[in-house]
Amino acid sequence: MKITERQSDALSELINIAFARTGAALSELTGHRVVLNPPEVAIYRTEELRGALAKFVPGDVASIHQVFHGAVAGDALLILNYSGAVQLTDLLTDGHNPSNYLDESAREVLTEVGNILLNACLGMFGNLLNVHVTFSVPRLHLETLDELIANTTTDKTEMHYALVVYTAFQLRDSSVKGFLVIVLSVASLDRLIQEVDAWEGQQGG
Amino acid sequence: MSGKILIVDDSALSRRTLRRILESAGYEVVEADDGMAALEVYFLEKPRLVLLDLVMKGMYGLDVLVKLREMDQEARVVVASADIQSSTRKLVDEAGALGLITKPFISEQVIAVVEAALEERSHS
Repeated sequence: MKITERQSDALSELINIAFARTGAALSELTGHRVVLNPPEVAIYRTEELRGALAKFVPGDVASIHQVFHGAVAGDALLILNYSGAVQLTDLLTDGHNPSNYLDESAREVLTEVGNILLNACLGMFGNLLNVHVTFSVPRLHLETLDELIANTTTDKTEMHYALVVYTAFQLRDSSVKGFLVIVLSVASLDRLIQEVDAWEGQQGG
Repeated sequence: MSGKILIVDDSALSRRTLRRILESAGYEVVEADDGMAALEVYFLEKPRLVLLDLVMKGMYGLDVLVKLREMDQEARVVVASADIQSSTRKLVDEAGALGLITKPFISEQVIAVVEAALEERSHS
């Protein structure tokens, strides 16, 4: 599926706005200023996704996964490399839980943080595009990229695309790199692009 | 301001955060980690207000709200959710909640919404 340069620009701007809300949410959670690098947006077929992400997140990953339903439906994933997830949790608990692994308490914190960040981003999408989505309970997975991609709930008989947003959160002196991945069916991606087109047409006019 | 408030959320982090905010403002707090437990705690504890998450394991938050109203027509409920969509705010209003607090929680906002909800004399 191809999108035009104009659609890609509009999508990037929409994600910029949504990510500003995400950054604000992370800042409120941590009590520290959060700098988000400008997000880079790309669309892949799901079978290309592993190769696209693997160079950035080798080894095990921590992901917070939420299924969403509505006019636009799919899987939303916040993906962090394992050490980044540990670092983020440590920052969120003010260093009260310094360790090199994610214990039960750290996992619980990370799941709720993922829930808030995914809602901040997709909720802003919904608001801007006038599309209502409902979310499933968030789930934290610690696994390889292959397992992660295999575990998305989308219908395997239908072609799916992944909207990938690369970003890095900078909190205090640390940099936690993460990815937001939204896996959509062709129909949902088409609907999303239509809504983005409509939104783009309303801007500045 | 004082009184007992029931926090319903499947996230222990969110319950801890709300408990800290509410207790520091002088409220007594009871908790439930899902919808069924919420109905039981509401029946036993008779809280003045319920802070209710939407997306939880088991019952969805707005279904819990309906059940609470079946038990007690005067039940006062404020929804506390990560969902920031305008359309969700509309659904929450239509369901009869007295307010919506979005995550991450900010103390001043939580207290302001809670106080406003407790001051409401009656609602339909």
